[in-house]
Amino acid sequence: MTGSLRIEAQVQRGPRARFTYDDRPVDAYEGESVAAALWANGVGHATDCAGQWPSSDMPDRGPPWRVLFCMMGVCQQCVVVIDGIHVEACRVLVRAGLDVRSV
Amino acid sequence: MNHFDLVVVGAGIMGVTAALRAADGGMRVLVLEQDSAGSRASGVNAGTLSLQIKRVSLMRYALAGYAWWKDAGDAVGFKRTGSYTLAFNASEEALLDERMRLKIAAGAPIEFVSPATVRAAESALCDRIVSATYCADDGHADSTRTGVYLRALLHDAGIELRERSALLGIDVGGVGYTLRTAHENVTSTNLLLATGAWLKPTAALLGADLPIEVRVNTVTATERGPSLLGAGVGHATGLLTLKQKSNGSFLIGGGWQGRGSPETGRGEVVGETLLQNLRLARFAVPGIVGFRILRSWTGFEAFVPDHYPLAGELPGIPRAYVLGCVRGGYTIGPCIGTLMGDRILGREPALPLFDPARVMKPQIAMHENIDSPLRTRSPTLPIA
Amino acid sequence: MKKNGSDIVVLGAGPAGSAAAVEASALGLYVTLFDENPVAGGQVYRQSPGIRSTASSQEQVQGDALGAALTASTVDKCFEHRVWQVERLQSGFAVHAVGPEGPVVREARALIVASGATERQFPIAGWERQGVLSLAGATVLIKSQRMLPGRNVVVAGSGPLLMVVAAAIIEGGGTVAAVIDANPRRAWWADMGALASRPDLLARGAGWIRTLVAHRVPMLFSHVLRRIDGNPAVSRVEAVPIGAGGAPLPDAQALSIQCDSVCTGFGLLPSTDVTRLVGAAHIFDAVRDTWQVKIDADQRCSLAHLYACGDGTGVAGAAAAPWQGRVAALAAAHDLGILSLGVAVEKMRPARRQRDIAARFGMAMARLANVRPNMVEGITDATVVCLCEGITRATLDAAIDLGCVTQNDLRSATRCGMGPCGGRLCEDVTSRLIAARTGLSRQVIGQPTGRPPLRPVDLNTLAGTFDYDSLPMAQPSPL
Repeated sequence: MTGSLRIEAQVQRGPRARFTYDDRPVDAYEGESVAAALWANGVGHATDCAGQWPSSDMPDRGPPWRVLFCMMGVCQQCVVVIDGIHVEACRVLVRAGLDVRSV
Repeated sequence: MNHFDLVVVGAGIMGVTAALRAADGGMRVLVLEQDSAGSRASGVNAGTLSLQIKRVSLMRYALAGYAWWKDAGDAVGFKRTGSYTLAFNASEEALLDERMRLKIAAGAPIEFVSPATVRAAESALCDRIVSATYCADDGHADSTRTGVYLRALLHDAGIELRERSALLGIDVGGVGYTLRTAHENVTSTNLLLATGAWLKPTAALLGADLPIEVRVNTVTATERGPSLLGAGVGHATGLLTLKQKSNGSFLIGGGWQGRGSPETGRGEVVGETLLQNLRLARFAVPGIVGFRILRSWTGFEAFVPDHYPLAGELPGIPRAYVLGCVRGGYTIGPCIGTLMGDRILGREPALPLFDPARVMKPQIAMHENIDSPLRTRSPTLPIA
Repeated sequence: MKKNGSDIVVLGAGPAGSAAAVEASALGLYVTLFDENPVAGGQVYRQSPGIRSTASSQEQVQGDALGAALTASTVDKCFEHRVWQVERLQSGFAVHAVGPEGPVVREARALIVASGATERQFPIAGWERQGVLSLAGATVLIKSQRMLPGRNVVVAGSGPLLMVVAAAIIEGGGTVAAVIDANPRRAWWADMGALASRPDLLARGAGWIRTLVAHRVPMLFSHVLRRIDGNPAVSRVEAVPIGAGGAPLPDAQALSIQCDSVCTGFGLLPSTDVTRLVGAAHIFDAVRDTWQVKIDADQRCSLAHLYACGDGTGVAGAAAAPWQGRVAALAAAHDLGILSLGVAVEKMRPARRQRDIAARFGMAMARLANVRPNMVEGITDATVVCLCEGITRATLDAAIDLGCVTQNDLRSATRCGMGPCGGRLCEDVTSRLIAARTGLSRQVIGQPTGRPPLRPVDLNTLAGTFDYDSLPMAQPSPL
């Protein structure tokens, strides 16, 4: 995927806010959810996707986490860890210095 | 032909194991179930298979029941994990000491272990343990698999199972018992009521008044996460069971009470009580805070005043039997159900059964055999 | 833990819940409104504080008006609160939530449920990949986050959101590789009678389609996606034509389409989690093909002092929602003794009329998304049906064949629907799988038992700080 996913026309964003995801810096704007910000930065949970589907047949594997699906806190696909707590990334608004970890 | 040697009402663990035994002894058996096989207490409990939490007098039954689950193996997700019972203060320590000594004397392979030993084995446990016991044979199974497993057992034994067939009434006389269901009527020589939390109203269809009450036990499941706990965890009071399943999710139990009754269908979780249960779990395993709660539910558990099972012929109602009210029925159920099957076949069961007459007010005999040996047997409390 | 009483608690600050709350508070009742989001709007008027579209839109105007009315009212607004438990009490209801300051309990004499709807999903082989999102999720991403799901997007499924999302992607500067609609082209015109009742919305819809035509977006009608490929994220899809019943046509040529994202969805499903939790009666609506809470003409549920409004009662759209909310508030006020029957009826009459008129368009739109009965035939054995637990169709079919023919049974036996999403993504399709395999009706297959928490809640927040010695331990179990 090339090019920015952020729509530039006719939008007013909040100030920039940089946070970290597994210690990697992520550039975002206030008002964005962590899920959307990760998505806009091309973040994906690459290793789990390709043919290694975790399932109840492999009970020790956790569920797959992807960056976003429903964007409304329902599907639980976007869960991340913040302050040791599991939370839906689509429900957390970015703020500068936020330390986000993958599950 | 709709006539059977035995109709079992209730396709939970006890009803089904009784049915299996009776069929194995040559009886033509039908099992009726108002909902789905193994879908109530048998299928919604926390799956704990622990000798440590069993009543002293029921230890031999627990050992036999445990063997049944072990034999079921992978089909029910049986796991021998060992478990610890913990005490966090002086009064709990005294309670643990008193109770476990009696259970050990009753034959349970339980030993006292030091808090240091416990924490070395299970580093996720808190550092407030004052005393502890351990049983290496303890473990758990996945109670959600009960229904499928029971159905398979009945199918393999050639026993007919009719689900979503509520019992509407029982008529006595003629060929024996006539059972009216939502579908067609069936008749039977022998009748076994094994309807768990619904045993009181079911027995009332025969005019038998059983002093059964129902507990509403709460169980909670968390999401999956890293493996923190290998063994099961219990509490000196019995008010906490905690285990981490192989898929990484925790099951939290301990008999904290929800609200509701079998008449209304399913019980309700009481938020305030749930929080106390969760606090106790968190106290025992602090790392559990990293796991979100996904689901909390209740299951009904019937009991009579002395908290011992009911397993025997109803006084004055020949060839009508009741089976139920077992505290810790998941472990013990298969044993008592099998013994009941033997009794119905006319055999002497390997362990004493539990005469329902002991809990019933004396009644005028409704039938001829008021002097039958079964009728005049005095209440039985098994002793270790 | 804060614990105090209200007259009415309203769950959900979308158009229905907000209108209900404002109406009830205007009648002098003490109303508490809970919503998980930081601002009102629900899904249809979704906004993020901090990001603002400078293009004017009807939705933005309506959403702002909703927020303004709430602000001006005396409603006690509990935003950013996740409700996890609702209990029935002698005196009404107790609502348990967790908010920014920790756990909260609010008791109320009456409860108005306005928790809206979620999107119906149909599993597609490979839909677990990065780059696949729901149509509703894409709508949120584009409208409230001002981001594209991809640069070259396939939009697939059924219903009005298909065109909404496709047009929004183009307006946002992206490309739509194809629109894959499970319905035939004529389905869009089938309900013209009802659609014509809102010429403004009809014109807007025509505008979306004009945008797509002008950008030469390939539109495949009576098609579904058979698979989504990519390693690891989406790179192409395959689409196949389906017959009148919804099953893929045998021997039909699959079309391969390059893309970097897939947005998919098949209409809306009323959220029944709260109403199931408290034990209200539900019905399966054969026309809408969804379960919904059973209500009377005044939005009353089967339990005393329980009301429901908005898409949770059956998808009827954003215009009907506020009228439903007003009717529910009036009914609740009457039942609490605040309004006499005469006054209540007089106020309700115009609201009910507006509600029923507005619902015609919304219901017609909803019907556009209906799923054909044989669509499940297109789900392959290896397709993951339960995303949370990774359960394939093959596993489900095997369990169904072993007698697991109710929602509760199938969940217990396979764990499908027992993961973090609580079955919200898979319940509809698993019921269809059971129905297809057994011939049982949706009523017999049933819904799963409602259980708390309504959403996952972390133990840290729930349990809070406590003193071990103050835990109320009951009697130890008998020895």
